[in-house]
Amino acid sequence: MEKTRREFVKLVGGAALGAGVMLAGRGKARAQAKSFKGVPSEPVKIGAMPGLTGVIAVPGTAAWRTTQMWVDEVNAAGGILGRKIELFMEEETSAKDCVERFRKLTLEKKCDVIVGLMSTGNGLAVGPLAEELGQLWLSWDATTQKGVEETMPKTKFVFRSTDNEAEAIGGAILTAKFFPNIKTVAGINNDYSYGRDCWDSYQAVLKHFNPNVKFVEALWPKLGETDFTSHIAALKKANPDLIMTSFWSGDVPILMKQAAAVGLFKKTKACFTTGGGAHYTLKKEFTPEGLILGYNSMYFKWTDTWPLLKKFVKSYYEKYKEYPVYECDHAYFVLQAYKAAVEKCYDLLGKWPTKEEIGKALSGIEVPSISGLRGYRDDNIMTCNFFQGLTTHKNPYDFVTISPIEVLTPVQIMKPTAGAKLYDWIKGWKS
Amino acid sequence: METILNILFSGVFNASTLFLVAAGLQVVFGVQKVFNLACGSFYALGAYFGIVVVKSFVAGGFPKPLFIAPLIGAGLLLGFIGPIFERGLIKFVYGRDETFQLLLTFAIVMMIEDVIKFIWGTSPQTMGGIDLVYGQLNVLGATVPVYNLIVILCSLIIAALIGYILLNTKFGRIIRATADKREMSEALGINMTLVYVKVFTLGTVLGTLGGALVIPATAAVSEMGVELIVLAFAVVVIGGLGSMKGAFIGALIVGVLKSIAISTYPELEMLTIYIIVIAVLVIKPQGLFGGARV
Repeated sequence: MEKTRREFVKLVGGAALGAGVMLAGRGKARAQAKSFKGVPSEPVKIGAMPGLTGVIAVPGTAAWRTTQMWVDEVNAAGGILGRKIELFMEEETSAKDCVERFRKLTLEKKCDVIVGLMSTGNGLAVGPLAEELGQLWLSWDATTQKGVEETMPKTKFVFRSTDNEAEAIGGAILTAKFFPNIKTVAGINNDYSYGRDCWDSYQAVLKHFNPNVKFVEALWPKLGETDFTSHIAALKKANPDLIMTSFWSGDVPILMKQAAAVGLFKKTKACFTTGGGAHYTLKKEFTPEGLILGYNSMYFKWTDTWPLLKKFVKSYYEKYKEYPVYECDHAYFVLQAYKAAVEKCYDLLGKWPTKEEIGKALSGIEVPSISGLRGYRDDNIMTCNFFQGLTTHKNPYDFVTISPIEVLTPVQIMKPTAGAKLYDWIKGWKS
Repeated sequence: METILNILFSGVFNASTLFLVAAGLQVVFGVQKVFNLACGSFYALGAYFGIVVVKSFVAGGFPKPLFIAPLIGAGLLLGFIGPIFERGLIKFVYGRDETFQLLLTFAIVMMIEDVIKFIWGTSPQTMGGIDLVYGQLNVLGATVPVYNLIVILCSLIIAALIGYILLNTKFGRIIRATADKREMSEALGINMTLVYVKVFTLGTVLGTLGGALVIPATAAVSEMGVELIVLAFAVVVIGGLGSMKGAFIGALIVGVLKSIAISTYPELEMLTIYIIVIAVLVIKPQGLFGGARV
């Protein structure tokens, strides 16, 4: 793990000075150009589908804000190849509505690309439609996974998020690293595919490193539950050495608060694989130090040496008085990737590319995002680092941060290809 | 013993907030014959408003352990929205088909959720760890947060108070008479408009107070009201529509049963509750304390 982190920091050090600065310079140079031959003058139409209600409202709002910030910034710098961006928004709700709205953005609004969606259920519904319509869809967090298996291993227009279970795999790796002596583990995860996938993957990985570990309890509150006092009573009854959870929204501070009220984490350790989704709500008053906390693909305090992160966190905080969460990075990355792919095609073809050409350019692309260099694999799955670590109170905020910061790379936590079988891949690891 | 007590305390804590929301639902249905889905939204509003008031109280330099006073005050004060909703919207669906009532009150749920997001945003809101100032109590090996006991106690006091008002005051007699025979009450000169405003305000206050009371021990999220309405429905069906005693017993059954199920067969959490609901509907369709009586 140490070696990986050092390698990554070295990579980032160079990249920060190189790629980040290079991109800024390139944008400036392009903005200064008056017009681009072979490029239409009308605006580029980008459709966005954020979830703004219910449990996905927290990450959805963050991603939508980021999308608007990015569009404003790019428009101010001259747009994409001189074309201004026009943004259309359709809310992410149910799978049926998402399909209708995706169709509307494609056929009625004539969007050049659609970004967004966070629910895997919605991704499963929209993915095949995007391929059928020949519409580029760059997902924020929705995958097209059924359980832990990819249903669309080969796509032309669909560019998907990381595998659902990546953060749980990372959490299990760090559990084995930080708490090698634990003997019993209990899980509390939401009763839907993400919660189930995370718990299964976490168990498989932890068992791999620590074959003697026993999983003594599995609780399945429904998504949106706002009272965990009964679940905490059940966890106390199970009395595990560690509690794992993949909660990622308003349920994170609720569980933490109610656990603190009965002193649950005084003896018991915990691994919140995705708790960073609402990190600023984890106040020091009720969040103990020394628990594993995962921030997914972006940690707002990761480093001071990545200008994009520093600038974004500052702008976001000034505008919304909140510290950004990982969904911001997904939203930022997909737009960066789209812009870079268009520009790459233009450099080669000398004209505004077709959706199919942009799709080809997106495969295997790597661009600087808020969280560092990120990209799409050749099978059109996002790759990015995941940030996790142990909670600490040593910071100037009223909420916890993490120290040390563990950067988990795609090689460590993601299947090598979309078609690979998750558990076969894990079995093949060295202990 | 420790485990049993932990399960029981968590179940009763759960039941205490459920009771307040269900009681609000019952009193409005009992008198006005309106099935008020918005009671859960009043609960959410109470939670958010409670956070604002308590944060201001603490920021003003007042001692933290006294926060319970402004919190209760916030819950009661927010009751002023009751007459606004009753006069502004609810009165238009009196005596109309239940579908209209459900649609209207569901629209209020949606509107309040948007108002919450507009004012407080989508991020979860908390009071920090203010409830922890009261510490914990060790009861036969079980750790019980003192604040949770305060919430349970408050609910019991409110239940007793409602019981007293209904049975021993003029207002209570008017409510019962109206619930029983509205036309006769009106014929006897009772100002029905005023009764409706008062009753709806009482129902609203029960929700806002419930939200305010529970929030120090949890976090406020915009959809928290919707979540609770579903369980409140189960309470009402089990206890009997319109019955205050039914709300009390129904909340206890749902709260404790949920807690037991989570500790024994977590997969059966919801199933257990709805098996009871179905059993009541089949064996005693009017509920354990049925009839539209408050």
